[in-house]
Amino acid sequence: MRLVVTGASGYIGTRLTHLASERGHDIVIASRKEPTYFTTSWLYFDLLSLKALALPKETDVVIHLAANTTQADYFDKEAEVITAQRLVKSAQEVGAKFIFVSSQTARPDAPTSYGITKWRIEQVVLSAGGNVARPGQVYGGELRGLFGTLVNTIHNLPLLPAFIPAPKVQPIHVDDLAEGLLRIAERNDINPRIYCLATPKPVSFSEFLKNITKSRLRCQRLFFPVPIIAIKTLALALGDSLQTQLRLDQLLSLFDLPFMETASDLEELGLTLRPLSAGMHPSGNDRRRGLLQEGHALLSYVLKEPPCSAVLRRYVRAVEHVRNGNALGLPKLFLSYPIFLSLLDYSTWADKTKGVEFSWRLDAATMLAETTPLGAYRFLGIGSRNGVLISLLSIINAMTCEIFWRLLRVLFSPLIRFFWGRARGAA
Amino acid sequence: MIPDFDVIIIGSGPAGVSAAFPLVESGLLVLMVDGGTKATMPPPNNAFLAIRASDNDQWKWMIGEEFHALRKIDAASPKLRVPGLRYVFEGYAELNQIVSHNFLSVGSLATGGLSNAWGCGVACLSRYEMSDFPVNFEHFRQSYESIAKRMGISGCHDDDMADYFGLDAWAQRPVQMDALHSHMYQRYSIHNAKLASMGFRLGRSRVAALSEPYASRMACDLSGNCLWGCHRRSLYSALNDLTSLCKYENFRHVSGFVVEQLAQKEGYWSINGREGKHRDIRSISAHKLILAAGTLATTKLALGALKMQKPVRVLSNPTAAFLLWLPRFTGVARNNTFGLGQLSFNLKLPDETSVFGSTFSTTGIPISEFARHLPTGRRYGIDLLRNLLSSCVVGNLFLSGAYSASEAKLQNDGSLVISGGYKQQVTHTMNRLMKNLRKAYWMSGAILLPGSFKIGSPGSDIHYAGSLPMRISPRAGETSSNGELHGLPGIHVVDGSCLPTLSEKSHTLTLMANADRIGRIVSASSDFTHTTTKP
Repeated sequence: MRLVVTGASGYIGTRLTHLASERGHDIVIASRKEPTYFTTSWLYFDLLSLKALALPKETDVVIHLAANTTQADYFDKEAEVITAQRLVKSAQEVGAKFIFVSSQTARPDAPTSYGITKWRIEQVVLSAGGNVARPGQVYGGELRGLFGTLVNTIHNLPLLPAFIPAPKVQPIHVDDLAEGLLRIAERNDINPRIYCLATPKPVSFSEFLKNITKSRLRCQRLFFPVPIIAIKTLALALGDSLQTQLRLDQLLSLFDLPFMETASDLEELGLTLRPLSAGMHPSGNDRRRGLLQEGHALLSYVLKEPPCSAVLRRYVRAVEHVRNGNALGLPKLFLSYPIFLSLLDYSTWADKTKGVEFSWRLDAATMLAETTPLGAYRFLGIGSRNGVLISLLSIINAMTCEIFWRLLRVLFSPLIRFFWGRARGAA
Repeated sequence: MIPDFDVIIIGSGPAGVSAAFPLVESGLLVLMVDGGTKATMPPPNNAFLAIRASDNDQWKWMIGEEFHALRKIDAASPKLRVPGLRYVFEGYAELNQIVSHNFLSVGSLATGGLSNAWGCGVACLSRYEMSDFPVNFEHFRQSYESIAKRMGISGCHDDDMADYFGLDAWAQRPVQMDALHSHMYQRYSIHNAKLASMGFRLGRSRVAALSEPYASRMACDLSGNCLWGCHRRSLYSALNDLTSLCKYENFRHVSGFVVEQLAQKEGYWSINGREGKHRDIRSISAHKLILAAGTLATTKLALGALKMQKPVRVLSNPTAAFLLWLPRFTGVARNNTFGLGQLSFNLKLPDETSVFGSTFSTTGIPISEFARHLPTGRRYGIDLLRNLLSSCVVGNLFLSGAYSASEAKLQNDGSLVISGGYKQQVTHTMNRLMKNLRKAYWMSGAILLPGSFKIGSPGSDIHYAGSLPMRISPRAGETSSNGELHGLPGIHVVDGSCLPTLSEKSHTLTLMANADRIGRIVSASSDFTHTTTKP
C-alpha cells in the first residue's frame, strides 16, 4: 500500500513510518524539508502554508499526524484547520482513505486551543467520510513529545508532585499506537469513525510517573502531595497568556481528561496493548527482565547462592542465541524462592514440551554456573576443607534434602501441575 | 598427458601421514589434501584446577563464546562439547554427504584429522589377532616399530598387560599414576592369582603421550587438560608429522580441498572436489591415489568410484562406560593428574569373549557431565558429586567389532547412508561383563556404582573399520594385501576401512602401521614419472 504521512518525523510519525516500511508499505513523506534518513519519496507539505497538496494518484491512505504544538496565535490555528480541509479534499480526489490522528483532549470546549483545533479538524475529517484516531497518553521508545518532556523533568526534579485527587491517564505504547494506526489503514471492512486507542482501564497519573521512575529511569523519587485546587487557583490568577507560557494549560488539560471508552475499538482492530510495566522498559518489552528473573532463580538454585551478574547475563544471552529467547513463565513462587525448584527438577511428570525446555534451561544454568571460579568452589570443592567425615556428612545431608523434596514432589504434584499450567496460560 | 603428481593422499590424519613418509622419502612427488579446518582458540595453558579456581574467562574455552557446549548438549561424547575442538568435528557428515540412522558418524576435516581429539590409546595386534590380515606378521611388526618410535608412546611397565599391548620395547616409562589408580593396582597385585583365574588382567595404560620430552614436544606435566587440548603437545597428533613432511621439497599440502569424487582421466586418476572459501571445483590428477579420509568418507569415495550400491558392513566396537568408587579415598582433596587412561584391563570370559578397557581420573571432566546422569535433582546432585567424585574413576570398555551389525550403502544421489546396530547378544554380553567387572574391581578396592554402567549407542566408539577389507583374493568392494581396490588399480585404501577385522584393542597404531606398510609397497613400485631418485 502507498501511504502518505504528514508529521513523519515526529514522536509517533517515526515509529509509524518504521513499522509501515517493515511491513512492506510504500511511504511518501509529506514535510517541509526533504528527509535524509529515509530512502523514500517526498512531497512538499507545510501545515501553515494554506497551499493545496497534490497527492500522487496511487495513494491508498493519507495519515495526518502533523500538528502545531508550539504556541499558536489565532491565524496559525485557522491555517491548520484550512490546510486540513485542503488535505481531506485532495485525498477524496485520489480516492485515498484519510486517517487523522487527534488527541484525547479533543473537545469543542477543551481548556487548550490545541484540543479545540483538534476537535475542529475532526469534524472536517468525519464529515468527509474519513477516520479519526484518538490516542491516549503516548509513552515509550525515544524520549520525545510529552513523554520525553515528562521523563526529562522527572530526571531533573528531586521530588515529584502527587496530585490530589490523582488525575487518571490512559497510556498507550507508541509502537502499539503505530500498529493500531496501520491496522485502521490496512483494513477495508471497517466504517469510518472515531477510534479511541488507549488502555481501557485508566491508571492514576502518580502510578504512571512511578512506572517511569522504576522501569525507564531506574531511580527513586519521593512524591509530595499537591492539591489540584492550588494549581487551578494559580492558573486563574495568572491569566490566559501566562498560563500558556508556563505550560500550565497542558497540566490543566491533564486534570480534565475525559474518559475514553476504548475496549470495543481495540477489540475490533484485534489490538492487544502491552502492559505498562513492560512497555516502560527502554527495550519496549520486559522479555529480558523475565529472562533475568528466570536465570537468577535457576542459577541460585544450582549455586545455592545468588549468581554474579556476569553469569546471569551469560544465561540470558545463551537463551536468546540458542533457544527462542522467551522466559519459561515460571510461577512467582519459584522465582522468589529458588529452592522450590527442587519440586520441578524432575521432568518426567510435566507435559512433554514444557519438561524438555525446562531441562535444557537447567542444564545450561548448571554448565554456566560451573564454569566460573565460584563454580569451581561449589562443584569441585576447591578450597574447601577435606576429610572423610566432612564428606560423608555432606553426602548424607544432601541425600536427606533430596529425599525430603522427593516426598514433597509426590505429595504436591497435582498442585504443581495446576500452578504451572496456569502460569503457562498467563505467559 | 603427464599427471600433476605421482601420488595424491586424501586426508592428513594418522593414516595419511603414515603412508606419506615412505612415499616422500623415496623421492616421489606427493600431494596431500585435507578439509583444512584449523584450531581457532589456543588450549588452556595452565593446570586445570588452577585455572578453574582463578580464570573468569574459563567459560570461553569450556562452553564457548557462541555457546557451543550448549548447542551440543545432546551429543553422546563430552569431546563433542569442547568448543576448542569444534573445528575437528565440524562439517564432516554434511560435506561428505553422510546420512546416519542409529549411528554416530564422526570424522574430521581438520588438518591432522581425528588425532587432534583422540584418547591416545595404542596397542599391537598379536599374531593370532592378525590371522585374517593378508600380511606377513614380522614385516608388519617392523612397521609397528617405526610408527611407535615416531609417535612417542609411554607406558612401558613390567606388568600383566605388557604382552597384551606388545609394544613396551618402543615405549617410554609410564606417565605418573594418581593415588586412586596406584591403590587399585596395589590391591590387584595382591589378588593377582585369583583375578587371573577370573580372566582379569590389569596393567598400566600404554598411550601416545610423552613421559619424557621428545623432539620439540614436552613431557606431560599432569596439568589435566587432556580433554580440552594439550598446550605442551605431549599427546601425539598427526599435525606433528605434517610439519616434518612439509620440510621435504617433493611434498605439497593443499588445505581446504574436500574431495567429492574420484575419476579417471586419460589413463590416470584424478580427484574432483571443492576448494577454498568460494568452493571452486578443481581437479587434480596423479598416477596413484591413497585414500585416508577416515573410514566413512573413504568408503563413500571408493563405492562411488566402483559404482557399487551393495551395502558394505561397517565394523565398530560396542562400548560402555561406568563409574568406580574407592571408599577409602572419600573426601580427599583433588589433585592435578593425567586425564587419559592410567590403568587398562583385559577381561576374557570363558567363551573367549575378550574385552578391553581403561580407567581414568574424573578431574578434567566437567561435573555437569556427571550431574546429568544422576537420578537426583541438580542442586543436591552437585553436593553429592562434589564430595564423592574425587574418590571415583571413570572406566570404559570396548567389545570386538565382530559384535557390531552396522552397514553403509551408497545411494543414487551419491550420498552414503549408514544404518547402525548391534548383534543381538551384545546386551546379554554387556550384563555378564558388568557382573564380572564388579567382582574384579571389588577385589581391587573399588565399587562399580550401581546404575552407572551405561552402554553406548552404535558408532559412539568412533573406531569404524572394515568396510573395504584387505583379502588375499579380494572381490568387488574389497582390497588386496597392499590396500588396492579390486577393479580399480592405482587406488589404495590405507585408513581403518581396509582392516579386515576390528579387535577390542585400540586400533590407531595398527592402522598407522598398515598405512606405513602400504606406503612402502607403493613407493617401491616403478610406475611413476616424477621420481627424483630411482627405487
